Amino acid sequence: MKFRAKIMDAACLNHFTWVSAMIAKLAKTCTLRISPQKLNFILSDKVANGGVSTWCELEQENFFSEFQMEGVSAENKAISLELMSENLSRVLKTAWNARALKSKLTNKHSPCLTVSIELLSVSSSSRIVTHDIPVKVIPRKLWKDLQEPTVPVSDVSIYLPVLKTMKSIVEKMKNISNHLIIEANLSGELNLKIETELATHFKDLGNPPSAPEDASQDRDPEQMAEVHVDIQKLLQFLAGQQVNPTKAVCNIVSNKTVHLDLLHEDVSLQYFIPAFS
Amino acid sequence: MLKCGMSGSQVKVFGKAIQALSRISDELWLDPSEKGLALRSVNSCRSAYGCVLFSPVFFQHYQWSTSVKVNENDSTTSNLNCKLGMKSILPIFRCLNSLERNVEKCKIFTSSDLCKVVIQFFCRHGIRRTHNVCFQESQPLQVIFEKNMCSNMLIIQPRVLAEAVVLFTSSQEEVTLAVTPLSVCLKSSSDEPMDLTSSVYSEMFVGPDEFDFFQIGADTEITFCFKELKGMLTFSEATHAPIAIHFDFPGKPMALSIDDMLLEANFILATLADEPSRASSPPSLCLSQKQKRSDLMCSTNNNSKTGKNATSKAPGCILRKAAPKRLYPNETQTDIPALENCGSPIMKRVNEDISEVPESSVSDTEEGPGSSYLRQFSCMFFGAVSSDQRQHFNYPFDSLATASDSEEDMNNGSSSTF
Repeated sequence: MKFRAKIMDAACLNHFTWVSAMIAKLAKTCTLRISPQKLNFILSDKVANGGVSTWCELEQENFFSEFQMEGVSAENKAISLELMSENLSRVLKTAWNARALKSKLTNKHSPCLTVSIELLSVSSSSRIVTHDIPVKVIPRKLWKDLQEPTVPVSDVSIYLPVLKTMKSIVEKMKNISNHLIIEANLSGELNLKIETELATHFKDLGNPPSAPEDASQDRDPEQMAEVHVDIQKLLQFLAGQQVNPTKAVCNIVSNKTVHLDLLHEDVSLQYFIPAFS
Repeated sequence: MLKCGMSGSQVKVFGKAIQALSRISDELWLDPSEKGLALRSVNSCRSAYGCVLFSPVFFQHYQWSTSVKVNENDSTTSNLNCKLGMKSILPIFRCLNSLERNVEKCKIFTSSDLCKVVIQFFCRHGIRRTHNVCFQESQPLQVIFEKNMCSNMLIIQPRVLAEAVVLFTSSQEEVTLAVTPLSVCLKSSSDEPMDLTSSVYSEMFVGPDEFDFFQIGADTEITFCFKELKGMLTFSEATHAPIAIHFDFPGKPMALSIDDMLLEANFILATLADEPSRASSPPSLCLSQKQKRSDLMCSTNNNSKTGKNATSKAPGCILRKAAPKRLYPNETQTDIPALENCGSPIMKRVNEDISEVPESSVSDTEEGPGSSYLRQFSCMFFGAVSSDQRQHFNYPFDSLATASDSEEDMNNGSSSTF
């Protein structure tokens, strides 16, 4: 099992730092899955996160100038590591002014992700900083939990409003109730409701075109699909979104799941919130 | 007994000193003398000491006098033995940037009858803020530490150190400074096996050319408390002066100091001794030392009438870790009074906390689970400062049996005190 990668470009490093900061806001522990083409951040500990799961995917060649990996075995060309997301985020933040960042999997006393940063100090002499982030290697038998979640067939798909606006509204709503109702229809209307009759209505959001075999084909455009969710979970997701994504879609499976599908330039993030049972 | 005044920008530096010392302990001594106003702080387990001495030139005006108490047969002069709680004084110097902007003049004076320090801010728009802080009568402690005798000395700009400090989390308790004649490395220190929840291990190498002064006698690695380093760093950024680091081998205290025309700051920190624990030293060593220490009302030359300027202020000792049953350490630095090399009680560190160890309990029973060996901090003992010459003669140093030739050394020694 080997992993070695290098980032030389400042913009790529910034973007990667931003991704890890976003993940750090979503959960304390996350799984980093390394495969030849992709990097995934997975938060799938359903019990700990209260049923929420996250799947973040990025193409490694968009970030790393050098990337070498050797999976666990010839058939299983992947490495799965569990780590504290805050650790990775903090380490990357110290590299904001770096000339180069190298990362590799090491095993000194225990498995670590060693990040080696070449910093340009103010006095223009370069300095080497090394961080060892402790990781836990996830054995193959647990990999079935780390599969990409199947996108459920949704009743309604709608584009989300500006996330910052949504966040400030949901933040105020959380003081009133824990229980939020998200409903949307195919006419571009999204409502966020609280039992005590407080509701926010978003209009003219637009709906993504649906595939021919979708159930929503025969659906009345005005009919709302709704899900009852825990407001904290939605808020936690919104808290990580500082920048408005390139694309943000909300898929609702009536009374079952809310599936939030974002695309930030080249990084895709999917977030599943289950309905209150 | 103390009366001084400073401008708004000087208040900022003064406040920063108090904030830096607050990282060491919850108590602050205000110790004026002819050398200036010293702020001193010692932590409860005696493993860190800080002193910032503001020379009279720092202030707009500075007046100090001892008070003379006339008794029946003699008169005794006493210093302002003033100990303040950090909780009282820290909030007064809280928003230093706004203090710098708004305060035109700050006056600090003590009231001789009541145990009170008065701090007055004369602010813009005719506003005057007065704080009366009660103090406890308590003799300040000092440390004797011959920093110039250390074989390793580095002088570095605070900015460089700040860049290193940023790498570590605030939860990092200790850091290790590893030096060779070719490089200096600051790294996080932790002897526990790393698991997922451990903090990240970080290290940064700094080349010799980044130091203003670089003198390394021998390869060494010392481990000390991170919080106190950060305290000194924030203060140095306020003074824009380089920091000098004096150190030797693990176990011997290290000094972080700033020496400027207007002020002199010294933080003396204990460092971890590197060797596995041995059988504990006899508890009586600690206890008796304490008793003797309290008996020692040592001489000072606060009032320079004695003319004995060469006499060190107090027989405080820097006690190094020593094998039990042995009262003298392995090495003796001849210039330092032998008093300083008294046998040291081995202070235990339990569960990686720097917590106060009761003087008499130095036993092996407190070993934390899973720790393969005990690590100890050297303990620094301090002498009390007193201007009472008379008592010095009544209690000569033979009560400390370990220091047989202490008296000559005390007279001849050129150790510096802070």
